Amino acid sequence: MESIFLIINGQKITCPSGTTIFEAAEQNGIKIPTLCYHPDLKPYGACRVCLVEDEKTGRLMASCVTPAAADMSILTDTPRILNHRRNIVRLMMAEHPESCIVCSKGNRCELRKIAADLGVGDSGLYPMPNYTPFEQLNPFITRDLSKCILCGKCIRADHELVVTGAIDYNHRGFQSRPATLYEKPLEDSICTFCGTCVSICPTGALSVKNTRYVGTPERETNSICGFCGAGCSLTMGVADQKIVEVNPSKRKISVNGATLCMRGHFANDFINSADRLTRPMLRSQTRSHDENSDDTHIPASWEDAFEIITTRLSEIKREHGPDSIAFVGSSKCSNEENFLFQKIARDIFETRNVVNGGYASGQKLLSYIDEITHGSCRVTTLSDLEDAEVIFVINSDLEQTVPVAGYHVKRAAKKGARVIVIDAFKTDLAALSSLWIRPDLSVNKQINTSDLVNALARRVVAIDSQDKDFINQYTEGFDPYIASFSNFDFQKIAEQSKLSVEIFDQAVELIKGRKVAFVIGADTLNYPDGNQLIDAVMNFSFLTGSIGAKGSGIYVPAAENNLIGAMDMGAVPDLLPGRVKIASEKDKGLDLDAFIESAESGQVKAAYIMGENLLRSLPQPDRVEAALQKLEFLVVQDIVRNRTTKIADVILPGAAVYEKYGSFTNMEGRIQTFGPVVSPPGDARADWDILAQVAKVMGHPEQYQKIEKIRQEIRRVVPMYQGLGNHQQDWIKNSETGNPFSANNTKFSFLPALPAGSETFDASYPFMAKISSPGFHLGSGTRTSRSERIQAYDRKGEIELSSADCRDLGLNGSGQVRVKSKFGTLEREFKENNRLPGGHILIPMAVNNNDAMQLVGLTSKEQSDSCGWTVSRVSIEKI
Amino acid sequence: MEPKEIDWNKLDAIIEEHRTQNWSLIPLLQEVQETCGYIPPESIEPIAEALNMYPAQVQGVITFYSGFSLKPKGKYVLKVCRGTACHVKGSRSILRYVKKELDLEEGETGEDYQFTLETVACLGACFLAPTMMVNRDYFGKLNPSKVSSVLGQYSKNKEDDG
Repeated sequence: MESIFLIINGQKITCPSGTTIFEAAEQNGIKIPTLCYHPDLKPYGACRVCLVEDEKTGRLMASCVTPAAADMSILTDTPRILNHRRNIVRLMMAEHPESCIVCSKGNRCELRKIAADLGVGDSGLYPMPNYTPFEQLNPFITRDLSKCILCGKCIRADHELVVTGAIDYNHRGFQSRPATLYEKPLEDSICTFCGTCVSICPTGALSVKNTRYVGTPERETNSICGFCGAGCSLTMGVADQKIVEVNPSKRKISVNGATLCMRGHFANDFINSADRLTRPMLRSQTRSHDENSDDTHIPASWEDAFEIITTRLSEIKREHGPDSIAFVGSSKCSNEENFLFQKIARDIFETRNVVNGGYASGQKLLSYIDEITHGSCRVTTLSDLEDAEVIFVINSDLEQTVPVAGYHVKRAAKKGARVIVIDAFKTDLAALSSLWIRPDLSVNKQINTSDLVNALARRVVAIDSQDKDFINQYTEGFDPYIASFSNFDFQKIAEQSKLSVEIFDQAVELIKGRKVAFVIGADTLNYPDGNQLIDAVMNFSFLTGSIGAKGSGIYVPAAENNLIGAMDMGAVPDLLPGRVKIASEKDKGLDLDAFIESAESGQVKAAYIMGENLLRSLPQPDRVEAALQKLEFLVVQDIVRNRTTKIADVILPGAAVYEKYGSFTNMEGRIQTFGPVVSPPGDARADWDILAQVAKVMGHPEQYQKIEKIRQEIRRVVPMYQGLGNHQQDWIKNSETGNPFSANNTKFSFLPALPAGSETFDASYPFMAKISSPGFHLGSGTRTSRSERIQAYDRKGEIELSSADCRDLGLNGSGQVRVKSKFGTLEREFKENNRLPGGHILIPMAVNNNDAMQLVGLTSKEQSDSCGWTVSRVSIEKI
Repeated sequence: MEPKEIDWNKLDAIIEEHRTQNWSLIPLLQEVQETCGYIPPESIEPIAEALNMYPAQVQGVITFYSGFSLKPKGKYVLKVCRGTACHVKGSRSILRYVKKELDLEEGETGEDYQFTLETVACLGACFLAPTMMVNRDYFGKLNPSKVSSVLGQYSKNKEDDG
């Protein structure tokens, strides 16, 4: 790129052409004040505070929108400029209410800071504040638009970064203010409450709403968000040893930049919940009068708790063998914790049974993809999506599961990437996609996404536009794969799904000759055709040469913060640390449903559960409860009192993400370390520290007094994580040898394409219910339901039906419905949602103690009549 | 009385016509305004969808230009000039008189949707001051009796007689 030489304040400066004067100055340490500039937003030039002067011509210009030109000589702070700047700020102040003393933005207000720097106290102008009604009905954002200075940052962040389009300027001149459509309050608009606008607002016009007074942050500390798999960098404001504010961090390199989502921004107040566990507790036979005890448990010392755990577990191991003990870890706990957890299980208690809550919701899928790609597709950088030519979204409502990944796809779409969505539901991405393939299941009644992907692949081959070089060089089994298409009747599949031939042609037209980035739901294997679907997607990726190149690959939006890390650390039944496969079937441990079955049958006698509320997150909660109650001994280590801790023999109070050291691996394969923001409540301890103590009491020779000790061991044992802890960020390593790109004889194998299985359709359960978390909850909602703001948001999680189904069922307006499946019954309010296709209903998880799980069967996918854990066949009736 | 029913078929046709065109928001809005006399708020979302814009953006453009209105207007829109020349020639009294005659304030539309009263900064016909417009017709050198006869010409009763 061409370089430009110019002079700013007498300093000689070189910058690439296209740089604005403001950026050139900033890069060279010359500060120019501004209110409307943000590095992630397009230059706008609204506030005019960044005025500078061209020495030669005397012209004044806004430096943020003026490109640097050769031989310019710029002055940034002459008396003339300062005079103009002062006048601009005076005009703003004249329109600003005199409420600085009670403004929640306080000393962090950028307008106030600039006014102070320029010495503007009294504007000396006739005050004409623009009083706009104060709006704060929703529990997240307070809008006081009388403090708005029209910098447009909120609107630009909404349009350019989050790509939602909830707000824009309305009216003109003095009346002009950011507004939603029809000037409705935010909660009635399409606003998602991601809070990006709040963090970016330079004044007190937009501020975070707190349910009670929390004070101004005394200090700020960076951390990593503990909710979904995006792994956003946060800056947390602390007052009185409590986290009172969350903003996107200003770190240069982060997944999220200036954005966050509703959960990350507003739901982290769960950490201050009154339900937090603060002391170890033991089950008591007698009622206690201690105020810290619940009805069934009494507080105990850590020493006593460790003593009981180690004695009881050792006894059970001696009596019933090591495999009578099961360890259930958590994809919400850190890498270090999961590593130590599986080590305690496998090395100290010598049991095979290690699993974690994320096994069914993504890890099985991830390890399968890793196997098929020979470890060459482990790193999937989200920012690369913005350079992708084609993004193919399958079975994933990204906007709800991993919102920040959704922003990346939406930004890519805006930049011109071809986004293809296969989904029966009109997701937000479907609405803005280049092509939305919407199978209509009213005739077929079967989920057959895999057949549709195979149909597309067949058409790519039919017009001979597969990536032949890639196929020849890196793959094998192409011919048998093509031959396997004879198992399908594609004509019939298209007809049954009510899809026209044209739509397949359009899709192929968008794909042909291009590399594809696939986004595939982490719960894919929980769909009836999940196994066929992942094979179809893998084949498609080989066919289009979409592995190993930038802007391509398989993206799996992990619903939980450390889904990948917990797997990489070996807290799964079939992998040792570093994704080393356990070869022999008999050496593999129990997965979650087998664990519950074994507890029912009495084969498993004891369990140690860390950070999982199984009675809330697993299907058929009553069955799970009965199974766990049959255990002779149950240890639950968690951060909040919940249904699972209630039946535990020993409860250990762990620490939330923001109270400990650790590291998470996000959905991209980015390993991010973090330290404590505040200390754990009461006697609660970091989970790795608790585990270290258990190991110590069990007489393990290795002492883990510092987290660094665990990291050292991980670096040694797990080559993928050799960079762990050396930097704030590192990446997991692709397998260096043994993959097709490392120039040996390994090849990607095409898998034979199989038709989606056909379940026997039972007319007594005619509807297909999809059970998924709404965006304001995460997973089963153990943490998010303890956020005061989410509680105040008070969304009922109505069962959603299409308008046609409402009509057929005689449902109008509102009321209750009863939903029945083979496994249980649920009664809830309903609402119409015309984004749903007929025959489908949507049941939001997490609300109402996650009672939706009553409708799903805790059956393994291998059972022939299983629908998986994400969908369920149901009937609906009006109450 | 209700404002004129919106002819959704016509509206849809206008929207469809502009669907694939770039930079067609303002021509589209003008056409809708022309056809319906205003831009029905319900049409914002379909327009946004057709042009691949955010509904809030479309609303922003509509409310920015005073030529667009989100409220139904009367059959006859009166624009009383409040420019300098007209002011000097007594347009304040003309406006007061019109208000009294129509029983409307500035910016208001009568319940029968016959008249909408607006003021403008200048109609560019200063030689006719004081002046006003009714839809596309100019009336100049106004005085109260002339205003009365103009209003009478457009009033409902007159139409019914005709």
